[in-house]
Amino acid sequence: MNDLNSKNFTSHLKNYAVTYMFIALSVFFIAVSGLDINYVASQLLLRLNRNAFIVMALIIPIIAGMGINFSITIGAMAAQIGLLLTISWGVTGVPGILLAAGITLPLGLIFGYLIGSLLNRMKGQETIGSLILGYFANGAYQLLFLFIFGGIIPLSDKVTIVGATGVQNTLNLTGSVGLSTAIDSILRVPFLQTVYVLAAVVLAGSVVLWARKKITKTRFLALSIGAVIVAGIFLLPPVANVFNGSHGREIRIPVVTWLIIGALCLFNATIMRTRLGQKFRAVGQSQVVANASGINVNRTRITAIMISTVLAGWGQIIFMQSEGIGTFQTYAAHEQVGLYAGAAILVGGASIDRATNMQALIGAFLFHSLFITAQSASSNLFGNAVVGEYFRAFLSYGVIALALILYAARSARQRKTNLMAMAAQNGAAKE
Amino acid sequence: MTAIDKKERRRLLSGKQYVGAAIAALAAVLLVAAIVGYAIRETGTVSGSLKNMRSDAVVHIASEGIVDKIARDAKAARLKELRANGYNGRKFREIGLSEVEALTGEAEAQARAEAEALYSSPVVSDPAALERAVAALEERLAAYGQLRASERQAFSGLYVSLVDGTASWTDLTDAAGEDDEALFKALCAVEPRLAQESNAHLKPAFIKLARDMAETERARRARELETQLIQQVTGGVSDWAELASLKDNELWDALCREVPALQDNPTAKDAVMAQAKANIQTAQAGGEVTVQDSAATEGNTPVSETQANYKYFAPSEQLARLESDKDEAHTALWEQLTGIIPSLSGIQSKDKSGILENVDQLLWPGELSFSSRFQSYSGQVGAKDAGFATRLAGNAENLLLLGIALALLAVILIWWETLTRRFGVPRVIILLFFLYLILAAQYYNISIPLMMGNVLERMVMYGILALAMMPGIQCGIGLNMGMTIGCIAGLMGVVLSLQFDMTGPAGLTFACISGAMIALPLGWAYSILLNRMKGNEMTISTYVGFSFVSLMCIAWMMLPFTNPKIIWLLSGQGLRVTHSLLGSYGHLLDKFLSFEVGGMTIPTGGLLFLGLCCLMMWLFSRTKVGIAMTAAGSNPRFAEASGINVNRMRSLGTILSTVFAAIGIVIYSQSFGYAQLYTAPRQLGFIAASAILIGGASVRKARVAHVLLGVFLFEGVLVFGQQIANSAVAGGGLSEVMRIMISNGIILYALTQTGGGRRE
Repeated sequence: MNDLNSKNFTSHLKNYAVTYMFIALSVFFIAVSGLDINYVASQLLLRLNRNAFIVMALIIPIIAGMGINFSITIGAMAAQIGLLLTISWGVTGVPGILLAAGITLPLGLIFGYLIGSLLNRMKGQETIGSLILGYFANGAYQLLFLFIFGGIIPLSDKVTIVGATGVQNTLNLTGSVGLSTAIDSILRVPFLQTVYVLAAVVLAGSVVLWARKKITKTRFLALSIGAVIVAGIFLLPPVANVFNGSHGREIRIPVVTWLIIGALCLFNATIMRTRLGQKFRAVGQSQVVANASGINVNRTRITAIMISTVLAGWGQIIFMQSEGIGTFQTYAAHEQVGLYAGAAILVGGASIDRATNMQALIGAFLFHSLFITAQSASSNLFGNAVVGEYFRAFLSYGVIALALILYAARSARQRKTNLMAMAAQNGAAKE
Repeated sequence: MTAIDKKERRRLLSGKQYVGAAIAALAAVLLVAAIVGYAIRETGTVSGSLKNMRSDAVVHIASEGIVDKIARDAKAARLKELRANGYNGRKFREIGLSEVEALTGEAEAQARAEAEALYSSPVVSDPAALERAVAALEERLAAYGQLRASERQAFSGLYVSLVDGTASWTDLTDAAGEDDEALFKALCAVEPRLAQESNAHLKPAFIKLARDMAETERARRARELETQLIQQVTGGVSDWAELASLKDNELWDALCREVPALQDNPTAKDAVMAQAKANIQTAQAGGEVTVQDSAATEGNTPVSETQANYKYFAPSEQLARLESDKDEAHTALWEQLTGIIPSLSGIQSKDKSGILENVDQLLWPGELSFSSRFQSYSGQVGAKDAGFATRLAGNAENLLLLGIALALLAVILIWWETLTRRFGVPRVIILLFFLYLILAAQYYNISIPLMMGNVLERMVMYGILALAMMPGIQCGIGLNMGMTIGCIAGLMGVVLSLQFDMTGPAGLTFACISGAMIALPLGWAYSILLNRMKGNEMTISTYVGFSFVSLMCIAWMMLPFTNPKIIWLLSGQGLRVTHSLLGSYGHLLDKFLSFEVGGMTIPTGGLLFLGLCCLMMWLFSRTKVGIAMTAAGSNPRFAEASGINVNRMRSLGTILSTVFAAIGIVIYSQSFGYAQLYTAPRQLGFIAASAILIGGASVRKARVAHVLLGVFLFEGVLVFGQQIANSAVAGGGLSEVMRIMISNGIILYALTQTGGGRRE
């Protein structure tokens, strides 16, 4: 028993080495940066709600065995086309966001189908293929925005460059355009209250479930004690003071955005229990076996990418309307989407072939905690803020490289054990 | 299907091929017509008819000029009348511009119609005299135009070599002080041709140039300092929102406490304060205040090719003489014209010079080919009266282009299957696109030899980088996207040579060798990593390359370089983004033994070096080790069985690739004239990979021919495409879009050729 536990523990450490490294780095950076903890916490929550959706869009392709889908940038492009048209037509507020999301849906499905079909022709190279496909699509996107919109497809003066073809470099989302914080500002609730309410709900729910014998005693205890402890921690004055505005601003969270993110968590979890989800998993584990059991492998893979592309598009809309963004960089807003989302999910402990909602959320949290603090930390450490900027880029690329290397090393080991097992079997058969 | 069936099918033409044959026949007819057109150009009838067209066109310009003038006068008179009737400026504004147009337009149109009836077909009493005057003017215009063009070209050569050869204008002018003679001597030291007697007239112009350039340089340094200060201030303050309540002078004091260097540079105060206020606003709106990295802010560094500024051009005495000759011919022609249209003598000198300018433009637009003459003359008077033979001769070029285009189309249609099977669809498309661009260049009158010279220069620039892909492919690691590691080693070599102030051939050699030396251990370490990652090399090498570039960004900031020419002035630490090699060994290899053939500049030295590298690579792949390496790459199991150490061979290939990349970037930088650090090398792997793939390599197989052909085609498409996009469509973004799509499209294609169930 003890032996098993220690084995579990080592394998856990191995799988989550990157995550623990990032936790250590985050703590170090927050300490060194000298930033106000209230500021860090508010930025962190803001960025989490801004980015979580896009990061979670990566999960399904990973489970379907297609690696990190860097072509989510194409989903972001679809969303940007939707936003552009919405701004051009002058639709504001929540209807505007819904319109943009509505345009993103068919575009994302079509693009996703095309991406999936292409990736089916480069099996085993999906990660690099989707990256380069993203670059390629960027060319097509520029062609569209520089020469076709405002030229062949007429748009309102609000978005085009007057006297030339093409769309303006930056589009404002605030003011009369009315898209910035359209979802975020529907309902904002203080963070602390939300925590207390959530803890109460969990506590009450677990009591009810236990009373009805739906859950075991250990689980009931874990849930209820956990809820009490979390609520207790946030009731402590030093912790509560971070959030309640006694230092700096009171931290509030946009409830509707969080509900949407929660809905996506639920979607990702439930789809895995459906037939489609089973197919994703089967294809991800072994295409040969899946094929033999009558699953149309190629179609399943295309479906995974289509879902991912649409989700990424919606994630980009959430990103763009989020507080503090305010402007739409027409030609650059999509460029780093794949990189940052991919790095974030890997930081959370996902790998090239497995990922969960929790990993995506933790990853986004850790990755952005470094992002927030890197500049000030490097300014304090090296007396030079630009180093922090480069360090952020290095982290993003480096964590992806590291994850790829770890995955390749693991699958090489697996191949070797498989081969040895096969050789042993052959040997046994011969004898 | 049996073999006989296949043979049968091959013999029969498909539908596509029938269409192809028909187009080929049409193309043949057009080509014959074009040849006939060329042949009859020199005959008396045709050239006589063209001369008549020329005279007619000149008269037409004159008559058009007077009609215009009469119409304008009528409009002005009507406007005056309106003013007299109480239409003042306010009233005009009230009724709007279109209404004013309507009020005056009627009178203008009427006057124009009357004038046209009078002047549209003037009677030429003495066609021979007119023809003589026109011919004389054309001759003098040509003489003037040719000399002016050649003088401007000479000026441009001097200008470019002077600007490229000068490392620091401020040093140059500061040394000379106010003394113009001393300054000119210093300039002559940079460019000895300047001292020649024939260039004496340019002396004041170049002295002024040097002073202006020094001024610009000082301004640029001041801006650079400002950028640095802004970076430090922006990064130094952790919470901007806190500063919101401060008054201006309090804010400045607070900033000075944060960055002491501000106190020494009060000139930057306005810019820093503006940025600080913007930061406070951003922070208050809940946004994030970020430091722009230096690569983004250093936008004002020249990274394009030097181009002469003709503001400084001064004509020689001979040119001035020819100009007065030209004026004489103008007077003679004007006499003839007033003889034909008497009312011309009454017009103002402004209108007169306008008409003569149009005549000049018609007679000497900068070149004189039969078809361009025909086109411009018939633009004035139409081609109806010219006769069939003249029209045929005039359109010979267009017929030829159309004929060639159709012939190409026919070839493609007939042999489509064979071509695509042999080269793959994307390569056929790119080849077609290149041929199309050459035809289009001819159509837009873009000098093809000049462009070809540019293509050759770019071949030198990218050739060795593409060659670096080859050993990687051969040894089995596929497209070595991590060649950026080698590029960084090479850049390190360049920066070291600059640190030690090495110039000329010694500097270049030192940069190459030290770059290669640094690349060796890096490539070895990198190869060990790749040997453990078999099957995933391309993905991993891409991200390892990216990470290394970002890591080196930090290193470039921290490494202890000390030469003030290459580090940031203010902080005294960290290398700049862009380093000019123009004062040391920029273009050194390109200029070596360089010569010109028919307008095409051949960068001999660069081509020789590229050829040498290719030859070495070719010889290497013929040696025993080279063959073993290729075997290890193409069939590792077989190679292992026949006693080849596969891992060692893969390491060898990776190291070779890295070293070539290091040398490649040094050559690239000398060709470019600038070395760029930080994020600049990130995408170089992709460019090199697309070049070799376009040349016909795959991720498993590559030859030297693929490198050369690929670089030529890729750069050819880019150079021609850019020029044509500039002259055909407004806006420069199109060529960049084209580069992105071609470069990534060909890599995607190569990936689809290898994929398909390799995983299981």
